[in-house]
This record gives sequence, structure tokens and C-alpha cells, in this order.
Amino acid sequence: LPTPPARLPYVPHVPPMALLGKVTATTFALEGPRCVFDGHADASDTVWLAVAFANASATFRNPRSRADVPPYKQLPTARSYMTLETAAAAYLCSAPSPPVLRVGGDTACRDQDRQDPCNGPLPSPGPYRVKFLLMGCRGPKAETRWSEPILLRRAVSPCTIDPAPTRRGSDVVVIASILASLGAVLASAVLGALGAKVWGSLCHQDLGTDTFIRRSYRTHHIPPALPQPLPPGCRCSLPRLCRSSPQPPAPC
Amino acid sequence: MAKSDGCVHILQGLLVFGNVVIGMCGIALTAECIYFVSNPHGLYPLLKATENNDIYAAAWIGIFVGLALFALSILGIIGVIKASRTLLLVYIILMLITFAFEMASCITAATHRDSLTPNVFLKQMLERYQKSEPANNSDKELTKTWDELMLQNHCCGVLGPSDWQEYTSAFRLTHNDADYPWPRKCCVLNAQGLPINLDGCKLGVPGYYNSNGCYDAISGPVNTHAWGVAWFGFAILCWTFCVLLGTMFYWSGIEY
Repeated sequence: LPTPPARLPYVPHVPPMALLGKVTATTFALEGPRCVFDGHADASDTVWLAVAFANASATFRNPRSRADVPPYKQLPTARSYMTLETAAAAYLCSAPSPPVLRVGGDTACRDQDRQDPCNGPLPSPGPYRVKFLLMGCRGPKAETRWSEPILLRRAVSPCTIDPAPTRRGSDVVVIASILASLGAVLASAVLGALGAKVWGSLCHQDLGTDTFIRRSYRTHHIPPALPQPLPPGCRCSLPRLCRSSPQPPAPC
Repeated sequence: MAKSDGCVHILQGLLVFGNVVIGMCGIALTAECIYFVSNPHGLYPLLKATENNDIYAAAWIGIFVGLALFALSILGIIGVIKASRTLLLVYIILMLITFAFEMASCITAATHRDSLTPNVFLKQMLERYQKSEPANNSDKELTKTWDELMLQNHCCGVLGPSDWQEYTSAFRLTHNDADYPWPRKCCVLNAQGLPINLDGCKLGVPGYYNSNGCYDAISGPVNTHAWGVAWFGFAILCWTFCVLLGTMFYWSGIEY
């Protein structure tokens, strides 16, 4: 009976650094299992990634040899597959291992309907659980623990976007109200002025006293009348006595 | 009599000065609106696609209002100096009509600026960018405008590249998510127009993709445009209001 693979305590996880594309709708990224397989791996061994639906991870059976590895094509039926075959030497402490692995990055795997194990995009949002498996010539030698469930992104339809503005800006209210009031004042001033003129001309009122702006000033110059000389014969100093008939005075 | 003449001359002087300012502001308004209508930032296809390009209508009205203000200010100066009732009456009525048009332009520009929220552009971009079938001319124009916008401003999407992840889109129908989490134009490109690190761009490694959204690059010019038309027009109208009131007072004092 082959020895059961060593269970390593490492838990695969999505990289903690800020990468906008670490989880998309059909792919996700994993931190490379650096230094995890030191002491268990030979030069000829390979490290595989087993991907399973979260509710199917308990029923996943490690393949006995490379020929039994479930390829990407079996994911809908077997609910799991293995991919990202890499030489174990790439994950040694001494080697510069890739910091991030991308699961689902090979679209040709799906489009060309390949039968061999490849890294096709995930068909549904999941959630998925993954573990790393060290495979030697005689079967699996070591495995890590299953990861936490990884849920992929679900995109919503843009019909849910509401383009209406949340609130009317105060600038619009200020401009509209001030302009409307200015316009109303002007209109009423013009109507009032025109109406006053029309009403004034209808009532024949002389509005000459209101005008203060004169275009031209032509006056009719009337010379003042000279005083008329007195008729000769009237030497009375008192005009009243001159009007009645003159009477001879008392004997002198 | 001398004091009244002095007051009249002061009023005439003020009205002439007011009209000179109106004339100059009219020219400035025309020049500003011509600048906006000439589409210097290439954003006109985006606004046309929102079916809400009333900001352009406001700018067009501004051009003609500016010319009208200039012509009417000359008429006003002549009317004030000659103290002619007829000229000034014509001036007042035409100015009121121009006032009404400019008022409409200001309020339109201000109102429609408010309606251009990020969601408007987001929805339009998701539904029409790289739309394959059926793509009419305005969709192709929109795609071209977005591509140029993203290239020149080093930005992606409206709020960020995650717009393409959070929502399904016309782009998503023709470009699968694994190869194109966001359009290639969002990647940092080299001199030949190719991404400097395609895997880094797809993963979202900082430095290989443009992480900020294009909304600032859109709203900046649109805001300048709308507020330029709205607030400058508002200022001109306030000044015109004062000049018109003075002219009406002057007109009512002229004898027949």
C-alpha cells in the first residue's frame, strides 16, 4: 500500500497585498507556496494545485499517478480538477519562486477544449477550495490543507445604475431664484413705466413739470412794457381828486 | 438749474459707462462660448450620448446673446447721449428680450451640469463602449472618445478599473474576463502602444495598470464650461439689471 501523503499545515490563501485583479469573475490569484515543500520534495517531483467546489472538497481523492490527474475538462462532472503543474524546485526556499499564481488565466484551455490538464477559467463564481499536492513518481507525497472558500466576483447588470442626481445643487437654486426675481422686477418696472405714461396721456395731464431733461430751450422773449407818460393838465398829486370835476377853492 | 444739469450729466455718464461695460462683457461672453463650442477637450461625443447636451445649447445661445449685448450697448450709448425717447425705448425692449434669453442659457447650463453625475457616464460607458452589434456611429464615436480619454489621461473607467469587474457590459460580451479583466487601454503602455507587462496588468499589480478613474478628467472641463456660461452670464445679467433700471429712470425723465 502506498504511504499516505504527508499533511503539511500550510493553508493556501489569496495574496494579502493590494492587487485589484486578485479575484475576478473567472480567475483568482494565490500566493506561491514558498518553502512549504522543503524537505519533502526531490528534484523530479512536481507540485499541483487541486481546485474543487467548496462543498466537494471533502470527497476529493488524491490521484495515484500523473495519469489519473483530473483535467480541467472534468470540472463540471467531477466537481474538481488539478492544474498549475510546476517543478517542485521552483518553490524551494533557495529559488526565487513566483510570488503570485493565477488560477484560470489560460483561455485557450477552454476554447480549444483540451483534454490535458491546463489552467482554464472557472465557469461559475464558486466558492472554491484549493490545496497544493506534491506528486512524485509513485504518487502523492505531501499535501497542504484545504484553503478557506474563495468566492469569485459576481457582476451585476448596469441597468441597476441610477443616473439621477442625488440632490439638486444649491448653485442652481441661487442662480434661478435671483435671475427670476431680477427679471420680474425689470418686467414690472417697464410695464409700470409704460402704463403710467399711457394713463397720463389718456387723462390729458400736463406732465411738463416732471421733466428735468431738456433737449433744447427756445423761449419767446417778451420785452417788459415801458410806463406810459401822464396826460398833460392833471397836476394833482392825489389822483382821487383829479378824477372828479375841479371846484374853485375857497376865497383866498 | 445748474445742480439739476450736473445730476443729469452724472446720470448720463453712468449710463454710458454701464453700457460700455455691457458691450465688453458681451464680447467676452461670445469669445468664451465660441471656445466651449469648439470642443477643446474632445468630450462632445460623451455629452451627446447622454442625450443631454443642453450645455452646448446654452453655449450657442451665449454666443448670440453676447453679440446682441454688444450691439445693444452701442445703441444704448447713442440713445443716452442724444436723450432720444424712441431709441431708448427700443433699447429697453430689446435688452429685455436679450435678458430673457441669457437667463434661459444660465439656468440651462447650471441645471444640466447638475445632472451629469458619475453614474450617467458609468452607465453609458458600460452599455456602449466597444459595443459590437449593432453599433451605430455614435457608439463608435463614444468608443473612440473613451480610448483617447484613457490614453491621454492615464485613467481607466469612470471610477476605476473595478467598474469593469462590478458590472457586466457590452465590452464584457466580446472580451472574456480572464484575458480582459479591463480594457487593454487601462494598462500602462510602452511607446509602441503595447502593455509593458500584460500579466501584471491583468492581475492589477500597481505600476502596470492605471488605477484612477476618468471622471475627474471629464468633470473638470465640463464644470469649467458650465460654470463659465452660468456664472459669467449671471454676473452680466446683474450688471445689466442695474443699467436697465437706470436707463428706465432716465427715459421717464426725458420730455417729449
